[in-house]
Amino acid sequence: MSVTPDELAAFADGELSGADEARVMAAIAADPALARQVEAHRTLKARLASHFAPILEQPVPDRLTELLAGSSAGGGQGQVVDLAAARLEREGRRRLPAWGWVGGALAASLVAVLVFTVTRPGEEAGGAAYAGAQLASTLDSQLSAAQPSSAGTRILLSFRNREGEFCRAYSADDGSGIACRDQRGWRFEAQGTGAAGAQTDFRMAGSEAELLAAAQDMARGPALSAEEEKAASAAGWRD
Amino acid sequence: MLALLPRLRRFAIGLAGHPADGDDLCQMTIERALARRDQWQEGTRLDSWMYRIMRNIWIDESRARKRRSETFVDEEAGLSVGGDGGQEALVGLGDVDRAMAQLPQEQREAVLLVMVEGYSYKEAAEVVGCPVGTLNSRLVRGRDALLELLGGEA
Repeated sequence: MSVTPDELAAFADGELSGADEARVMAAIAADPALARQVEAHRTLKARLASHFAPILEQPVPDRLTELLAGSSAGGGQGQVVDLAAARLEREGRRRLPAWGWVGGALAASLVAVLVFTVTRPGEEAGGAAYAGAQLASTLDSQLSAAQPSSAGTRILLSFRNREGEFCRAYSADDGSGIACRDQRGWRFEAQGTGAAGAQTDFRMAGSEAELLAAAQDMARGPALSAEEEKAASAAGWRD
Repeated sequence: MLALLPRLRRFAIGLAGHPADGDDLCQMTIERALARRDQWQEGTRLDSWMYRIMRNIWIDESRARKRRSETFVDEEAGLSVGGDGGQEALVGLGDVDRAMAQLPQEQREAVLLVMVEGYSYKEAAEVVGCPVGTLNSRLVRGRDALLELLGGEA
C-alpha cells in the first residue's frame, strides 16, 4: 500500500475522494508516521488560517470602500456605513469564513488525538478550575499578534463566548487549552489532555486544530482582531 | 464586491507580506476590476476573477519593483508610525510572515489560495492560470518549505 507525499497533502486538503481517499485513509490508519504527516499539514493550515483571519475582521480602509461607493458595481447594496454596521449585527457565525475549514477537516480526520474535557460553569458540582498565576499573567498580557517566537505559551486567538466573556486559546509545551475571563480569573473551559500510549507522539501536532475547533464551538462571533485584542487586554479582559 | 473586500485584503496582504502594500494592491485591483467590469462573466465567481486580477497586478508590480528597487507609493506609512502598532505587528513580525516571505512568489500564492482562502486545487489553478498539476507541485513545495521553516511542531 503506497501513498505518495502529494497524495497525503491532497488528502489533508480534502482533494481526494472515492477509492483514492479510502486507500489513503487505510494507509494512514496503518501507519502512525503517515498520520503524523497529515496532522502536520493540518496544523500548518490551522496556523496559517489563524494568522490571516484577523485581517477579515479589521475595518476595510475608507479609501477602498470609497472606490466602490460611487460605482454601480456594488450591486445596489446601499451605503457603505450601513453595510458595515449590518455586518456587525449579523449572526456571528456568518462572519466566520476562516473557521469553516476547521470543522470539515476534523470531521474527515481519522486521527483526532486529543480529548478535550469541556466544562461549563454550573454544570459540575465541583466548580470550575482556574489558571495559575503564571498562565494567568500570560493570558492577561500577551497579544497574539506580537508574541516572541520564543514564547513558552503561545496565544492562538482570542474571542468572546456566548456569555460575552473574553476567552483565549493558548498552546504551551506542557498543555494547551481555552480559558475565559470571569470575575475570579481565567476559568478553564477546555483543556487538552494528551491521550495515553502511542498517540502521544503527535499530541502537539493535533492540538492546535482541535483547539480551534473547540473555540469555534464556543465563540459567539469571530476571533478578535489585533486591535480588539489590544483594547480588551488594556481593559483587563472585562467589559 | 463590497462584501469581498475583507477577503481581497487578506489575499493582498498575504501576497505583499505587508498591510500597507497589501492595501495598495487591493486598491489597484478594485480600480482595474471596475474599469474592466464588462469582462466579468455573469455566473462565474466574482472572487476568483478578482483574485486573478490581483495576482496578475502583483506579479507585474513585483517585477517592476525588482527593476527600480523602489516601493510603490506608501501613502500611509508615514501616518501609521507610532499610531496603530497592532496592524504592523500583525503582519510585520510573526514567524509565519517571515516564513512566507521566503517562499518564491508562485509557491506563496498557491499556499495562500489553497490553505488560507480555501480554494480547491482546480479553482486555485484557474486563478493562477496554470495546470492543476503545476499548482499542486508548487503547493507541495511551498508547504514543505513552510513546515521546514516553522518546524518543530510536526
